[in-house]
Amino acid sequence: MWVTVKSRSGREIIKGAPLELSDDATVDDLKKAIYKHTKKYYPSRQRLTLPLRPGQDRPTVLESGKQLKDVFEKSNSGEVVFKDLGPQVAYSTLFFWEYVGPLVIFPIFYFFPVYSLFSLPPRKTTHPAQTYALLYWTLHYAKRIYETFFIHSFSHATSPVSNVYRNCCYYWSFATFIAYYVNHPLYTPVSEKQMYIGFISGLIWQLANLYCHIILKNLRSQGKGGYQIPRGFLFNYITCANYTTEIYQWLGFNIATQTVAGYSFLIVAALIMTNWALAKHRRLRKVSYVVNMIVFLFKSTNLCAQSIFVMSTRRFTDELS
Amino acid sequence: MALTKSLRTLYLASYNWILFFGWLQTLYLALSALKKTGFTSVYAAVEKPLQVWQTSALLEIFNGLAGIVRSPIIATLPQIGSRIYITWGILWSFPEIRQHWLVTQLVLSWSITEVIRYFFFALKETFGWTPAFLLWLRYSTFFVCYPTGIFGEAGLVYLALPYMKNSDIYSLRMPNKFNFSFDYYYASVVTLLSYIPGSPHMYNYMIGQRKKALGKGKKKSH
Repeated sequence: MWVTVKSRSGREIIKGAPLELSDDATVDDLKKAIYKHTKKYYPSRQRLTLPLRPGQDRPTVLESGKQLKDVFEKSNSGEVVFKDLGPQVAYSTLFFWEYVGPLVIFPIFYFFPVYSLFSLPPRKTTHPAQTYALLYWTLHYAKRIYETFFIHSFSHATSPVSNVYRNCCYYWSFATFIAYYVNHPLYTPVSEKQMYIGFISGLIWQLANLYCHIILKNLRSQGKGGYQIPRGFLFNYITCANYTTEIYQWLGFNIATQTVAGYSFLIVAALIMTNWALAKHRRLRKVSYVVNMIVFLFKSTNLCAQSIFVMSTRRFTDELS
Repeated sequence: MALTKSLRTLYLASYNWILFFGWLQTLYLALSALKKTGFTSVYAAVEKPLQVWQTSALLEIFNGLAGIVRSPIIATLPQIGSRIYITWGILWSFPEIRQHWLVTQLVLSWSITEVIRYFFFALKETFGWTPAFLLWLRYSTFFVCYPTGIFGEAGLVYLALPYMKNSDIYSLRMPNKFNFSFDYYYASVVTLLSYIPGSPHMYNYMIGQRKKALGKGKKKSH
């Protein structure tokens, strides 16, 4: 099996003779060989595609596990197009850094006299809502970190290092924004009843979210890769039920703490997850998705209002991502 | 389908012609005031037209969102946002700075740019064609108008700062049931700071657009 490796501009990545591999070599073997040859591009940094055929608008990506002889037109040689995805980190690394910020930042605003930096006196009385908010928030992010290392099962998937900076900006900035207002010396709490409704329902949704993640993890352990449709619990009615539970969980937090900062975070997070869920829903439908599913979130009227809202802002968020 | 296309063209053509004449009016008023009584009188002469024509640009955000035009709103939003901010949030809100010469610089930079831009789009929508000279103007005047306009904007924000601080205008203080605060003065300082990376970015963006727009012409003529 001979493989020529070129860049998207036609330049030969492997100069001289094509790479020689065994006849039943896989895509992974090819990536290892390229790494060995170039010394710089470790496998997770490589994106290999077949050359773009006329009429295609996206080239075929070479997937892990496939044998080269099944991918190439000829069974003993082929050409691949190489793209360097840049330095990569494991998803667990990315998630850890995203979540550790909020986990640390919120308690800082609660415990330390940071408000003196804004020429404000320290908190005279701490409202129960503020203490519960601290507990709720740190529980949430501790849960996320726990899930990152013990629940979620990532495939070989990695993420570009640049995503670490981008995602940390998002999480850490919002964490600071929210922590500032919830722990503020002049914070105004809601009624006790509203606070309890918010936090308790939020906790229930967090538990539901954990359960969704467990269901998703078990999908992978059932063997084959590719798209497996989650079943059971809320997944019988909702695509991406994990996003639903996450959104409602934040809603609970905001009902209890009532800050513009918190609600704005909820809206942005919901928009992002809605986009992901719509894409996932579309992909699943292509894979003959028979059961009547509605795209995750709210049912009937809420869904309509939401879809209209999302459609009009999709162009905006598309450009952002 | 053909009906929607003609409606779209009619709408866009009207919009661009109206704004072309609107900004031409603004430019004319500015220049006559400048000639007759000097730069301190420019704002008073252009205030109403400036506010009307500048605020109308908000429609362009709608056009982008609704898909009527293809411009990415991520580029038009900050542009229109800063225009509205200066027009209403600085010039209208702080009469104390209206007689500064920077106002003249600003109004001239804006109106020259907009006259060219709207004329360009008006011709394109109405006749499907624009003269090469206009294309060149559109993508070349920014070399002067962007720096002068940006300097005018930033300068006027800076001049308004002390008046903001004293008046506490447009600010929301804690405690309140939204648990939110907003300080117009600090927000303006941050906005001013954003001009530092923002301006070279916008300038380079225009240079890129210029290469795309004028580069095509060059290729065709060879």
